[in-house]
Amino acid sequence: MNNMLWIARRLLRSTFRKRSSWVVYFGLPIAAILLSMLIYGSASGGSLRVGVLNQDGDKPMTQDTIHFVEGLNNVKITMTDEASMNKDIASGKLDSGLIFEEGFADSVRDGQPAHLRLVSAKGAEVTAYVKVLLDGYLVNVAAIGQATKNDADAFDAIYADYKKSSFKLDAESLEDAAKFKDMTYQSIGFLLMFLLTSAVNLCGLILKEREDRTFLRLLSSPLSARGFVLANVMVTFLIQALQIVITLLVLKYAFGIDSGVPFGVMLGTLLLFSLVAIGLALLLTAFSKNSRGAAALQTLIITPTCLLAGCFFPAEIMPDTVKKISSFLPQHWLLDTITKLQDGQALGSLGLNLAILVAFAAVFALVAIYRFSRNNDVRQFI
Amino acid sequence: MNVLEIRNLTKTFGDFIAVDNMNLSVREGEIFGFLGANGAGKSTTINMISSLLRITKGEVRLLGKDIVKENKFAKMNIGIVPQDLAIYEEMTAYENVSFFAGLYGLRGSLLKERTEEALEFVGLGDKHKALPKSFSGGMKRRLNIACAIAHRPKLIIMDEPTVGIDPQSRNYILNSVKKLNQMGCSVIYTSHYMEEVEEICTRIAIVDHGKIIAEGTKEQLKSIITDTKETWIGVKNAERLDLDALKGIPGVNAVRMEEQSVKIISRGEINNLNWVIQQLIRDQVEISSVEEQAPNLETVFLTLTGRNLRD
Repeated sequence: MNNMLWIARRLLRSTFRKRSSWVVYFGLPIAAILLSMLIYGSASGGSLRVGVLNQDGDKPMTQDTIHFVEGLNNVKITMTDEASMNKDIASGKLDSGLIFEEGFADSVRDGQPAHLRLVSAKGAEVTAYVKVLLDGYLVNVAAIGQATKNDADAFDAIYADYKKSSFKLDAESLEDAAKFKDMTYQSIGFLLMFLLTSAVNLCGLILKEREDRTFLRLLSSPLSARGFVLANVMVTFLIQALQIVITLLVLKYAFGIDSGVPFGVMLGTLLLFSLVAIGLALLLTAFSKNSRGAAALQTLIITPTCLLAGCFFPAEIMPDTVKKISSFLPQHWLLDTITKLQDGQALGSLGLNLAILVAFAAVFALVAIYRFSRNNDVRQFI
Repeated sequence: MNVLEIRNLTKTFGDFIAVDNMNLSVREGEIFGFLGANGAGKSTTINMISSLLRITKGEVRLLGKDIVKENKFAKMNIGIVPQDLAIYEEMTAYENVSFFAGLYGLRGSLLKERTEEALEFVGLGDKHKALPKSFSGGMKRRLNIACAIAHRPKLIIMDEPTVGIDPQSRNYILNSVKKLNQMGCSVIYTSHYMEEVEEICTRIAIVDHGKIIAEGTKEQLKSIITDTKETWIGVKNAERLDLDALKGIPGVNAVRMEEQSVKIISRGEINNLNWVIQQLIRDQVEISSVEEQAPNLETVFLTLTGRNLRD
C-alpha cells in the first residue's frame, strides 16, 4: 500500500507539473459548459429576451403591463417596431415578441382582456413562462374592471391600490428549467467524453512506463504489477473525481445552471461512470502494444461512441437505428440516468441503469485483467 | 558463501526453451561476468532472477532464500541496472534516485541521505537539481546506476551498463563497479565489451542456447583452449576473401573478419599457416601483416560458441 501511494504521489506530481494537464483535465470541461450555454441559451445566463411592440399608445394600463413584464425575473425587454421584431425573432436575437394591439388597455378596463399577442419562433416552451405570469396579472386587473363595470373612478381607485400592493414572483420558471436541463445534458455529454479521454490518457502512462523501460525497474522493486496498475487506477479516479466536482461546481455556482439533480446524486452517478471510463482505459491499455496504438484506439472508439450515445446532441433527434445502437454504449445509460433524474425520478427507481453501468465497468476491468495475466512477455509486461 | 544460487533453472515460451536447466552460483564479493550472444538466454535469466519473469522450472536462491517464496526479501536485496535507461526525463536527478529508493521503503532523512550518497557515488552530486534531458549519455548511465544502488542491495545486476558512452564515462562506471564490489556488493555484469569483462570480472560464465557452456576465472577459461592458437592477418582488400574456403582448411576452428584484418583460430597442433596464406593469395588478397597471439576471452568465446559476442 505504501508503495502504491508512493507511485500515486509521483504520478500526481508529474501530471500536474505540466500546465497542459490543468487545461486538459479542468479547462476543457469548463469550456464545454460555455459551449453548451452558447448552444442552448444566450450568454446572459438564461434570461428571456422579449421584444415589445406597443400599438396602444401611452395608456397607463398598457405601460403598467409593460413594466410588469419588464419586472419579471429573468426577462429582458426591448421596445421595438413590427419589422424589427419579426427579423430579430427569426434571427434568434429575441426569444419572443409581445404585441400590445390598439384597444388593449380598454379591453382590460372592461374586464375582457384582448388585443395582446405573444409570438415566438421557438414554440410554447419559450412563451409559456411569460404567458402564465402575464395571464395571472391580467386576470386580476380584469377582475377589477368587471367589478367596477363602467365606473372609471372606482376602477382607478382600486387599481391604484392594487399597484401599491407588494407583488413578488418566484424566480423558478418552466422555461428556465427546460433550458438549464438542456445545458446540463450537453455539459455532461461533453464531460463524459473528457472523462473517457482523460482515463485513457492516464492509463496510457502505464504504456509509457513500458516504452520508457522504467516499469522494469519498478517491478524489480518490492512493488507488484498489481500494485502498479492499482496506483494508476487510483490516480486516474482521483483526477476524474476532481474533474467532476469542479465541473459541477462551475456549472452551478459560476454559471448559475441548476442541473435539476441534487449535487450528491449527480456526483455519485458520474463517479460510477468514471469507473466505466477507467475499465475501458485498462482494456485499451491491455490490448495496445504502445501508446501510439492506444491513442489510435482512443480516437477510434471514444469520439464515435460519444456521438452515437448522444453526448454531443440530444438523443431524441437521432434516428431509431442509432438510438438502438446507443443502448449498447455506457454513455447512453449515464445520460439516460441523468435525464430521468432531471425528470424527477428517484435514484432508487433507476436500478437497471445503474446496474448496467456497473456491469460495463466490471466487464471491461475483468477482460483487461485476464489479458494482463495472460501476458508472459517481459517486454510487453503485466 | 553464495549470494546467488541457480539450480536447474528453465524458462520456456511455448515450445521454445530460452533457459535450459541452468546451474550457476555467484559467491559473495564477486564480480561475476555473464557472457552470451544476443538470444543466448542471459536476459531471460536476469529477468527471472529479478522476478520480472516467472520461473518455468528450477529454483533461484538469494542469500539462501528462495526468491519465489521470499520475493520481497529477494527484491529488497537486488539492484537492477537495466540495459535501457530506466529514468524519468521530467524528474530531476535527485527526484529520480529518491523515487526509486522510496520504493524500497526508505523515507525521511534516511532517504535523503541515501539519495545524496548514491548521487555522489556516481559523480552527479553537483547535478542533483538538473533534469536528465540536459545530461550526456554517460551521465544518464551513471544516474541509471545511482537509481539501482541507493537502497544498498547485496547483489547488483548490471546489464550492459556502458553501452553507447564515451571512454571517460566508461572508465568512471568500471571504477564504480570495482568500488561497489570493495564496499561488499556482489555484482553480476553483462557486457558486449570483452575487454571490460576481462578487466573487472573475477569469475565468468559463458551462456549459449540457454545453457552455461563454460564457467570459471578468466585464466581457467583460457586454459580450456590451450590447444588452440589465434592468428591475425592484416589484409587490404578484404572483400575478396572467401571465408568459407578459409573455414574449410584443416585445423581451422573459426574465422572472424574485423575491418582490415582476419582472425583465424586453429587447433594448436596443426600448422596450417601456409595453407591459409595460399588461400589468401588465391583470393588475390593483399597481405599486410601476420601475427600470432595468445588466446584471450574473445577467442574462448568464439571457440566455444562459434559466434562473436556481438552477433
